[in-house]
Amino acid sequence: MDYLKNLRPLHFFYLAALLVLFTLPLYAESGFVTGLMPEGMDGSALLHVMLMIFFFGYLSQSWNISGGFAGQLSLGHAAFFGLGAYTSSLLYVNFGISPWVGMLAGMAVAGTFGLLIGLVSFHYGLKGPFFALVTIAFAEILRLIIQHLAFTGGPMGILIPLMGDSWWEFQFLAKEPYYYIALFMMLISIAVVWVIANSRWGFYFRAIREDEDAAEAIGIDITRYKLLSVTLSAAMTGAAGTFYAQYTQYIVPDDLIIVAFSIEIVLRAIIGGAGTVMGPIVGSFIMTPLGEATRIIFEGGGAGISLVSLLQQEIPAGEKFSQYLDYLAAGGGGGLAIMLYGAVLIVVCIGMPRGVVPWLRRRFGRYA
Amino acid sequence: MSILEAKGVTKIFGGLTAVKEVDFRVEKGEIVGLIGPNGAGKTTFFNMISGFYRPNEGDVLFNGSSIVGLKPSRICKLGMTRTFQIVKPFPELTVLENVMMGSFNHHARSADSRAKAMEVMELLGLAERAGELAGNLPVAGRKRVEVAKALATEPEVMLLDEVMAGLTPAEMHQMIDTVRRIRDTGVTMVIVEHVMPVIMSLCDRIYVLHHGEKIADGTPEEIVSNKSVMEAYLGEDFMIEAEGNA
Amino acid sequence: MLGVYMQSIISGLLIGGVYALIAVGLTLIFGVMKIINFAHGEFLMFGMYFAFFLSTLFGIDPYISAILALPLFLMFGWGIQALLVRPVLGAPDMIQILLTVGISLVLQNLALFFFSADFQSLNLGYSGLTFEFGPARVSYSRLFACVVALSVAGGLYLFLKKTDVGKALRACAEEREGALAVGIDVEKMYKVAFGLGIACVAIAGILMTPFFYTAPTVGVPFTLTAFVVVVLGGLGNIPGALVGGLIVGLVESLGEIMLPVASLKSLGTFIIFILILLLRPQGLFGQKLS
Repeated sequence: MDYLKNLRPLHFFYLAALLVLFTLPLYAESGFVTGLMPEGMDGSALLHVMLMIFFFGYLSQSWNISGGFAGQLSLGHAAFFGLGAYTSSLLYVNFGISPWVGMLAGMAVAGTFGLLIGLVSFHYGLKGPFFALVTIAFAEILRLIIQHLAFTGGPMGILIPLMGDSWWEFQFLAKEPYYYIALFMMLISIAVVWVIANSRWGFYFRAIREDEDAAEAIGIDITRYKLLSVTLSAAMTGAAGTFYAQYTQYIVPDDLIIVAFSIEIVLRAIIGGAGTVMGPIVGSFIMTPLGEATRIIFEGGGAGISLVSLLQQEIPAGEKFSQYLDYLAAGGGGGLAIMLYGAVLIVVCIGMPRGVVPWLRRRFGRYA
Repeated sequence: MSILEAKGVTKIFGGLTAVKEVDFRVEKGEIVGLIGPNGAGKTTFFNMISGFYRPNEGDVLFNGSSIVGLKPSRICKLGMTRTFQIVKPFPELTVLENVMMGSFNHHARSADSRAKAMEVMELLGLAERAGELAGNLPVAGRKRVEVAKALATEPEVMLLDEVMAGLTPAEMHQMIDTVRRIRDTGVTMVIVEHVMPVIMSLCDRIYVLHHGEKIADGTPEEIVSNKSVMEAYLGEDFMIEAEGNA
Repeated sequence: MLGVYMQSIISGLLIGGVYALIAVGLTLIFGVMKIINFAHGEFLMFGMYFAFFLSTLFGIDPYISAILALPLFLMFGWGIQALLVRPVLGAPDMIQILLTVGISLVLQNLALFFFSADFQSLNLGYSGLTFEFGPARVSYSRLFACVVALSVAGGLYLFLKKTDVGKALRACAEEREGALAVGIDVEKMYKVAFGLGIACVAIAGILMTPFFYTAPTVGVPFTLTAFVVVVLGGLGNIPGALVGGLIVGLVESLGEIMLPVASLKSLGTFIIFILILLLRPQGLFGQKLS
């Protein structure tokens, strides 16, 4: 915590990293860089992966505020994300309001929803797994409602028409602007968390996480600070929803507001180190490329296969088997990336529950 | 007006009356002790005056106003803090960070909070251990962190729950010293203790609980010669024998 | 009109019986080990694939597979507990939950990789058979599923009440320290509990194969439903899970015909869930948590 007393090496590393990240788009297309990447990836794909790293870093960092620091496990953050995405998209598509303004509106909506969930949960003293279950329930309810409302586009979602290539429209033909926006968002989230961590809020959040009774005894209003953490976390998560909507230009409730997405957010924070400033970022830098690389190397798979017809074919068993092996080698039904995520999560929970950052600090603290 | 007062405070759990109509009064600047055999209801009573339990009957007044029903954090903001018998330092945080948790109570800015925390740590002899993790300290150290954390909230009244438990005699002497120094800064204290010599040497007045009721209160000299107190601690048979031999 | 309601009530109760068995497994695991198994539905899914393959490859009927599943999934659960769950028993809640989330991710995607996302269904001779019950039409396979599920749940209940192992499990659930003190091998009991819980949910899945499709993600909604049932009935409470299962099955089924849009049926379930968590978190039959 006493950063002022720390030694230089880590700061140099950060500086160098920032330099590389800021200038990457300039040479992403170059032969040198493309040569370093796995088959099937080009400069544009690299920018996409980096962008996703920043995006998930931002998301996990937002979750970190309430989940990591204040210790309130939310498995429904996808709801805040979806609210942000839908708010800005609806404002944009129906009223032509700039997505930047929409982002602020989305943050307000998401934050309010978070406040509501918090008020309801904390007033009734829900903690730990019960709170987690409530967040899942709220997210599911939200998804069901959005899926069935006409004005949110129902199950088909919202398609954001290509209306231009400008900063005001928050739409670009090239990847570079998105790259920098995502990078800035990630850096801002780090700054926000760093400030919080060193302030009374951060201390109080951690006290709540460690021991609620002890925290109460020294004057910390548990409910108030839990609410603060959840509201802020939700609002920040909402902003990412707008970014996503403008980047992919298509939002669908069944892709967005699902537990699987909430888990992806939480996963990176936990693996990197929940409750630390750089944990979620490190987690994203580790997991996101792993997932993307897996997808690319195994060509994603995802092809369907009718096991019944395969099994009932009139060919010798040996041939059936080798057909099946070919199918697996081509990536099978997909899912290797997520399987990997799950495996890493298990390993971290068992062996390194505090995450990578605290582990690194113990081993290499001298250089920090 | 007493700084802290309990009037007819009662606590019933299910069918069991843990504390029965206890009256209690603390004047500013005093060190008041609360003793009694195991199961006497000391902890329950303590939890009631610190806001962790709500009394079924009776009232608790701090500086003349009732604090029944207030959250412990609100009571702390008003000026009364407690420590826990099973110490609850925040183990993964440093000693300094632990104490800062307390000093943030009246100092919103990190820099001010840190300064106040250092001040308190100096008073309690923890200054050299500022950067150590609280969880790594031995029992005596953790107890001291616990007290420092509470003191940093700048209370008018501090409630110490068996702060001597688990300490060696030498450590106890140090703690007694510490408690006296805290009182000298103007803090009123209520201590729950099992260790008699500590109570006798520290307290201005003592309350004795037995089976949830107050059976005696007075100065240490008065308590030590009080028959019901001796009965409570030693049992009736011993009393009869003692009288026979006297 | 009466016919529609009767149909709905009957379908609701029938599926409720299956929910009951699923929830009984979950509540047993929670009762003994205080762990909320977020991967519960994935074992249901594996049970279904187990029955599917035994049927397609070897022509073994699902009801036979259900019997075979008991020892197999008991061992599977035992192994998972010993290897993955045991190390986190002392860890903070969040880590325990996320461990089971990790297991869920791995199992789901293993199935996805090996079997693809395509829905597989078993078309057995008797799959579509129904009979008339007053104004309603009842499917034999659903009826059997419910009856067998409730029997298994009931059997588990008796097992816990009457056998030594059962009593040891209950001792662990109620008072771990006390159980240790009287010489119960608590570590072993944890494995048994997890194994039994998994076997229950796998069997429940197998019972559904004659009338429900199999896919890697089929377990997810059942996990959520199981949570609702368990909280409704009271964590660790087996009769509660039985009753809760029937109630939730009923609510869902009636919801389907009463809500404006059928696909909103789970909305009713979730709202009940939130209400219970807020107003009576100990469930219908649970003790008030201090």
